[in-house]
Amino acid sequence: MMKISNLYIWTLVLLLVVMLSCSKQEQVSSGQKIVVLSPEIAEIIASLGATEHLVGRTSECDYPPQLLQVPVVGNFGAINKEKVIALKPDLVFTSALEQDAIAQELGKIGIRVHQIYPQKLDDLPVIIRQIGDLIGKEKEAEALSDSISIAINQVRSAAQKISHPKVYVEIYRNPLMSVSDESFVGDVIESAGGDNIFSKLERDYARIDPEDVILAKPDIIICYSQDTMAGICSRKGWNLIPAVQNQRIYFEQDIDPDLIQQATPRTVQGLWLLYDIFSQQMKK
Amino acid sequence: MKKEYWLIIFLVLLFLGIATLYLFVGNVSKEIVMQIRLPRMILTLFTGMTLAGIGSVYQLMLVNPLAEPYILGISSGSAFGAILFGVLGLSLLMPVGGFIGAVLTLIIVWRLAQKKGSFDRSRLLIAGVIVGMFFSAGISLIMYLFQKDTMIILGTLMGNLGHIFTQGEWHFFLLLLGISVIILVRLYFRSTALDIMSGGDIYAGTVGIDVQKVRKELFLLTSLLVGITVSYAGIIGFVGLIIPHIVRFFIPSGQRKIFLYSLISGSIFLLGCDLIAKNITVIELPVGVITSAIGCPFFIWLLLKK
Repeated sequence: MMKISNLYIWTLVLLLVVMLSCSKQEQVSSGQKIVVLSPEIAEIIASLGATEHLVGRTSECDYPPQLLQVPVVGNFGAINKEKVIALKPDLVFTSALEQDAIAQELGKIGIRVHQIYPQKLDDLPVIIRQIGDLIGKEKEAEALSDSISIAINQVRSAAQKISHPKVYVEIYRNPLMSVSDESFVGDVIESAGGDNIFSKLERDYARIDPEDVILAKPDIIICYSQDTMAGICSRKGWNLIPAVQNQRIYFEQDIDPDLIQQATPRTVQGLWLLYDIFSQQMKK
Repeated sequence: MKKEYWLIIFLVLLFLGIATLYLFVGNVSKEIVMQIRLPRMILTLFTGMTLAGIGSVYQLMLVNPLAEPYILGISSGSAFGAILFGVLGLSLLMPVGGFIGAVLTLIIVWRLAQKKGSFDRSRLLIAGVIVGMFFSAGISLIMYLFQKDTMIILGTLMGNLGHIFTQGEWHFFLLLLGISVIILVRLYFRSTALDIMSGGDIYAGTVGIDVQKVRKELFLLTSLLVGITVSYAGIIGFVGLIIPHIVRFFIPSGQRKIFLYSLISGSIFLLGCDLIAKNITVIELPVGVITSAIGCPFFIWLLLKK
């Protein structure tokens, strides 16, 4: 009799321990610590309502404002490895290119690293789901991803109905640089109904010849090179460009670069803004 | 004399050939030739001319065959200023930043090079190299901190002749060009004094040359020129080092002629290199890469032949 009850109690204890450890494990995954080095991913994590899991960020991850309370571990190109390691993150999100090296180094010392680098507009819904799966926000991610897919399709079908103005995007002035259709911003422009004058470049972001800009006769210029309306209009030879003649040049204050250069939920806003600009052109 | 006659004809024909290609290659309208290509050609000719001319002056003044326009640190200071302005979001003011950097470096090197009123050439060389290294370290730091602006930084460090001029900037550049030409003429007339000084300060003193004064003047004038070229075109290596040596293969002595031919050959050489840099591949290559890639084999060939 005693033996049986003993066995019973021990079984109960064992079960309890197993249950406890299970629930503990669940707690760990829902209380996971995340370090994010890419502003795009930080914004997506925040919009999935997981800001409280963030324990570190780079100084560029500054939107939405509640991210500002998260400790900084460096800037986009120069990350303080020791700070990242000291935070004991369960997961680190990095971008590609400049961050390839840091991603590899962190991976070597056994930290779980996920590299996410969206290059196309259609990658946006995909990476949102991917991030949602990784941080345990599957449902939220699915809803957000679906709504963004729908919005992108809406813009695209609206854009098909307007005639496409030729667009020149300037990201640097000295030397002159623009974007190709292969870049994220190039894809956003094409989707919103614009016709990027440099559809093909040897790199996504590349140096270009001012002659080619003048020859392409863009209808619209989007200028992120810190130049001014007066500055562009007085450039030698640029008075031959329709966009300059009609003063259809848009700057950072007209369209926030973060809305079209980064893959975030705000990209939808950027798409509509661009669509408005492009469709306006045709009414004139 | 007759040999020189042929040399002049050769250089003129070479210039005309390259200039025609430079201005008219491809299908271009008159506006593009006048508004885009001609300004770039003038900037290129000016840069090549200045670099080679100053190179020939420095090699004699510092009695060092390795001397080139960038050796006295002015270029690093200028590039540092331009890059700093660029990454701080003032890319329109990069030439201004470059010029401020050049003047600042000039003052520092000037102060360091002087000891008890004397302006010693080895002291000048060491001061220039040290200050240059200091600013190079500054450039490296900016490169590390602002990795996203790599293109601005590389454009300055590897040479960028595609400067976009506004009408106002262009007029200002023409003004600087005028001043620079006056400085170059002045340098030309200092050639004889330089020749004598290369025989030693004491010897030059005995024939009535105020060595300290001439050296200070040359340093000041050349530094201003380097500041102007780096502000607009960035750092373009090789031209200032090798062109004077190539000229000396044909004209062994006499700084006047060496200086003059350095000006002419430097400008033609850089124009040819920029033509290649612009057209050899789809992407425009940094002109500093082409100057070395073409100049080095040519120089080796000359070395073997003579």
